[in-house]
Amino acid sequence: MITVERVDFISVPTRDTGQARRFYGGLLGLPESTTPEDVYAEFETSNVTLGTWEPERDGLPFAPTAGIALRVPDVEAARRELEAAGVQFRGETMDTGVCHMAFCADFDGNGVILHRRYAEPRPDGMGHTESREREDARREAS
Amino acid sequence: MQVERLDFVAVPSRDAAALRAFYMDVLGLRPDDNANFEVWIGDTCLGIWEPERVGLEFEPQRNGPLALRVSDVAEARAELEGKGVEFLGETLDTGVCHMAVFRDPDGNDLILHRRYKPYE
Repeated sequence: MITVERVDFISVPTRDTGQARRFYGGLLGLPESTTPEDVYAEFETSNVTLGTWEPERDGLPFAPTAGIALRVPDVEAARRELEAAGVQFRGETMDTGVCHMAFCADFDGNGVILHRRYAEPRPDGMGHTESREREDARREAS
Repeated sequence: MQVERLDFVAVPSRDAAALRAFYMDVLGLRPDDNANFEVWIGDTCLGIWEPERVGLEFEPQRNGPLALRVSDVAEARAELEGKGVEFLGETLDTGVCHMAVFRDPDGNDLILHRRYKPYE
């Protein structure tokens, strides 16, 4: 069996690196570890690097990705701030019973989730979504 | 605006149980102690979900979202190919790292990655 040690980076496709810089660096405030001259950009969260790139420069079709969940102290406050800057959100902020999630997109249409777990941390300190059994039970009840 | 960390990456699937089995049995990822459809790579959580269960269209993740660090890309690639995993093109040498792009059973892109140039 192969050993996967860690996630080194998450690719975020963009059509315009400058546009990605405005979102991830400007609006989200993530520190950039590349320089403005670079044709790609790397932004640091405390655990994983987000690396933007332009697939079309490599002759590949651009396809937006979905679902990078970023931890913020307060989902509603962060949402209001991004909405005021023109960021589009899809639907209402969701309360899963253990966390709040608000779904938006960066300027390329890549899905970004503002996320905050409010339930007590589990023994391993993580765990973000419901178990399938709980999800099924909730679906049946509603 | 304060982003504290990356909490998880959502991975779309049409069959979450099968995808979970692939991540655990083929890639050797660690299952979450509590949640059924979360697996861990180091301190990064992958949350498998089925968009079609909530009325959304299923779209596999293309453009290689996750770069997985392995000790040797060629070796890991050979092992995965031996298990029938599909790779896209040749392994890329960027000048600082090796990258090989492959697909999980749902068609989501993943990258085997190893930087060989020392970090400055």
